[in-house]
Amino acid sequence: MVEQVQNGPAKGRRTAARRRSDLANVLKVSVAALVVLGVAPFFLDIYTINILIRALLLAALALTVDLLWGYTGILTFGQSAFFGIGAYACALVFTHWGFGAGWAILALALGILTAMAVAALVGWLAFYHGASPLYGSIVTLALTIVVTQIIYAGGRTTGSSSGLSGFPTYYWPLETWFWIAGAFLVVVTALAWLFVHSDMGRVLVAIRENENRCAYLGIPVSRIKILLLVASGAIGAIAGFGYAAFTNVVAPELAGFLLGTELLIWVALGGRGTLIGPVIGAILIDVTSSYLSGSLPFYWKLLVGILFVVVIVALPQGLMPEVTKIWRRFVPGARRKAEAPKLEPAPARGVVHGKEQPLTVRGVHRHFGSLQVLQGIDFEAKEGELLSLVGPNGAGKTTLIRCLADGYERSGGDITIFGKDLGRWPPERCVALGIGRKFQTANVFATLTVGECLRVARYRMAPPSIWTSDTTLGLPEAALRIVEETGLAQSLDTEARHLAHGQKQALELAMVLALEPRIVLLDEPTAGLTRVERERIGAILTSLTERERLSILLVEHDLDFVREISSRVIVLHQGKILLDGSVEEVVDSELVREIYAGTALNLKGDGP
Amino acid sequence: MGVLLLDIVTTAAILFAVASGLMIILGVMKLINFAHGAFLTIGGYAAFATTQLGWNPWLAIPFAALVGFILGLIVERVIVRPLYARPLDAILATWGLGIIIGQVITIVFGRQVQFVQSPISGAIEFLGYSYSTYRLILVALAALLAVALTALFYFTRFGLNARAVIMNEDLARGLGIDSTRVRLITFGLGAALASMAGALITPLISVDPNLGLPWLINSFMLVLVSGISIPSLIVASLILGGAQVVVSTYVSAILGGLTIVVLAAVILRIRPQGLFSG
Repeated sequence: MVEQVQNGPAKGRRTAARRRSDLANVLKVSVAALVVLGVAPFFLDIYTINILIRALLLAALALTVDLLWGYTGILTFGQSAFFGIGAYACALVFTHWGFGAGWAILALALGILTAMAVAALVGWLAFYHGASPLYGSIVTLALTIVVTQIIYAGGRTTGSSSGLSGFPTYYWPLETWFWIAGAFLVVVTALAWLFVHSDMGRVLVAIRENENRCAYLGIPVSRIKILLLVASGAIGAIAGFGYAAFTNVVAPELAGFLLGTELLIWVALGGRGTLIGPVIGAILIDVTSSYLSGSLPFYWKLLVGILFVVVIVALPQGLMPEVTKIWRRFVPGARRKAEAPKLEPAPARGVVHGKEQPLTVRGVHRHFGSLQVLQGIDFEAKEGELLSLVGPNGAGKTTLIRCLADGYERSGGDITIFGKDLGRWPPERCVALGIGRKFQTANVFATLTVGECLRVARYRMAPPSIWTSDTTLGLPEAALRIVEETGLAQSLDTEARHLAHGQKQALELAMVLALEPRIVLLDEPTAGLTRVERERIGAILTSLTERERLSILLVEHDLDFVREISSRVIVLHQGKILLDGSVEEVVDSELVREIYAGTALNLKGDGP
Repeated sequence: MGVLLLDIVTTAAILFAVASGLMIILGVMKLINFAHGAFLTIGGYAAFATTQLGWNPWLAIPFAALVGFILGLIVERVIVRPLYARPLDAILATWGLGIIIGQVITIVFGRQVQFVQSPISGAIEFLGYSYSTYRLILVALAALLAVALTALFYFTRFGLNARAVIMNEDLARGLGIDSTRVRLITFGLGAALASMAGALITPLISVDPNLGLPWLINSFMLVLVSGISIPSLIVASLILGGAQVVVSTYVSAILGGLTIVVLAAVILRIRPQGLFSG
C-alpha cells in the first residue's frame, strides 16, 4: 500500500507526459498534411481538384471501414449506406424545405442522427453474444439494399432511381471545397489515429483476435461494436453530406452495395489496420478510376478486381506494410517499438465477506439433442475452498465449467452466485457477478503484447482511455505474483504469439486473476507446464484461497496435483456427481480408482 | 388465390434452384461463395450464347452447368484453396472474382441488356388456372434437382465422403478421405448448380452483366435460415418466397423485393442457428 501512495502522483505525471508526446506527433503530421492540402489547389488543374474532393471525402469513409474491419474485425459492406443517408439528408432538406445556414445545420444534424439511429439498429441486429461474424457481414450487406430500395420507393420526394440534382447549395470556389474536404479528412484521421493507439484501441484489436476471450474477460463486446458502428455511421453521414453539398447531385448508388464493396477493396489494397494505407488507397484508386473511366473503363475495373484478389490471396495485409518495411530498411531507427508498461499493484478492493454462499448449483442439467451431458448437478462452493472436479474424459467437467460462466449454456437448473441468480446472463455479466474463467487451451490475444493482454483484462476494473495509453499497469496482487514468478514481467513488450506454451498458460491465468474474480474456474490450468511451473502455480492457487478467500473450481486430470492442493474433490462420471468429499475420502476411494482404471482400459480398447 | 399459390410454389422453386449451389459449398467447405452471383451470370450468358449459336434452347441448361463446373474447378484450385484458413478473406476473394467475371463478361458481350430465347412459351391450363408453362416446368425441374442432389449425397461414394467432411473434416481426413478432392469437386458442383440456375431463370428475366447480384443476397439469407439440408432449404424457400410473393402482390413490389432480406435477418436474430436446427 505504501508503494501505491508513492506511485499515485508519479503515475499522473507519466500519463500526462505520454499523452503529450503522442498528440505532438499526430499534430506535427496533421499540420504537415494540412499545409500540403493547403497549397495543392494552386498546382492542380480544375478536373483533378474536382475528383480529389470526392476522393478525400470517400477516404474518410474508407477510414471508418478500416476501424471496423481492419482493427475490430467486423467485415462491413454497409458503410456506403451511411454516406448515402448523409447525402440524402442534405439533398432532401435543400430541395424540399429550404436553403441557408440554419437549414444546412439542420440537414447535417438530421443526417448524422439518422445514420446513428440506423447504425444502432443494425448493430443490435448484427452483434450479440454468439453471433457469427458472417451474419454481421450479411446484415451490413442487407442494409445497403434496404436503404437503396427505400430511396427507390421515395418516388418524387427522393427522385427515385435518377436521384436529386440542381438543389440550391453553396457555390463556393473549388479551393474552398477542397480545403473543407481535406481538413475534414485530416481531423478524422488524426482522431482515429489517437483512438486506435489508445488503450481502448488495443481492446478493439483484442476483439478482432479473440472475441470469445474478451467476453469472458467481462468486456461488453457487443456494446463496443455497436458504439463503434454508430460513431462510424456519424462520420460516414458527415462525409456524405459534404459530398452532396459539393456536387449538388445525389443518386441511390451513393448508398449502394457496390460503393460499400469498393471501400473494402481500397482498404484491403491500402492495408487493413493501418489507417494511412486505406486513406492513400482510397485517394489513389478513386482518382485513377476517375481518370481512366473515360478511356478504359472496363479494363481498369478488371485490373482492380485482379489486383484485389491477388492481394487478398497473397498479401492479406495489403500494400502499406510492404511500404513500411522498405521505409524501415532505409531509415534506421524508424521502428516503433512497443513500450513495456511499468507494473504496479492495483489498489486492493475492500471485499466484504458476507454470509452469502459464493456458488450454489441446483439441479443443473445440459443436453445436446437427446444426449444428456450433465444431469441433476447439485453442489456448493464455499469461500476459501479449492474444489477439484475430476472424472474421465467425457464426464462433463468442461461442460459444467461452461454452464457456470455463461448463463445461456445450461438446459435447466439454477445457479446462484453470492445470492444472485445467474439467470441467462451472457459471459460478460457473469464476470460482473465475480466469475473468472480460464479456458482449457491457452487463450490469449496473439498480436497484442503481454502488457496489452493484461491491460485488456483490466477493462472492467480500470476502464481504458479512448485517446491515450497509460504507461503504468496496475494489477491485483495475485496476477502480479504470477507475472513476476513466471518471468512474464520481463516480456511485457513481447507479442503473446511469441511466448512459449507454458508462458501462454500463465499469461491467461494472470489475465483471469486480473479480473479480481471471487470465483475462479480453471480448466486444466497446468496442462503442458513443467513440474516447477506447476508447483509454483499450485502454491499461488492455494494462497489465493487461504489469504484472499477465493473459491476456486479446478478441472484436473493429475490426481497427485489434486491431492496436493485441493480442499475438496467432486467426481463426475457420465454427467452425474458420483462423489463429493474431502481429498482423502475421494482420491483414495475404490470407486475412483475403478472409474479411472476402467476408462484407461476402455481408452486402450477404443482409442485411435 | 390459386394463382397466388402457384406464384408461391414457382417462386420457391426458383429460389431453391438458385440457392442450392451456395448451400452445398457452404455445407462442405464452410465458405460463403460471393462469386455465386457471378456464376449465375455466367449461366445466363451461357444460355445467351446458346441462343446466339442457334442451338436448341433446352441445351442451355447442360451447357451452362458444364461451363460452371469447369470454371468452378479452376477457381477452387487458384483462389479458394489458399484461403481455407481465412474464411472472411475467402468471402472477399470470391467477391473480387465476381468483379473480374463481371468485367470480362462486359468486355466480351457488352454491358447492354440481352434476351434469351425461352425453350417453351405460352400458358397452359393447370388446376383450372391459366399459368405460364415455363414456370410450371421450373417447378418440376427444381423437384428433379432436389431428388438428384439427395441421391448424390446419400447414394454415392462422393456423397458419403462429402457428408463425412460436413460433419467432421479432421476425422474424415484421418479416415483417409481425400478432403481436398471433396472440396474441389464440391466447389465445381456448386458453381455448376449456380450456373445452371442462371440458365434456368434467364427466360424469365433479361440478361446483363450484373444479373446475378440481386439473387446473391437472397440466396445467402435462404441458406442461413435453412441450414445445411435439402428439405429445410425447400421449406425455407416456400416460407420466405411465399412471404415475398404475398408482400409483392398485396403491398408493393419494392417492399416485396426486401421481404426475404429483412425477414431472414430478423429470423436469424431470434434464432441464430436457423429455423430448423437445434
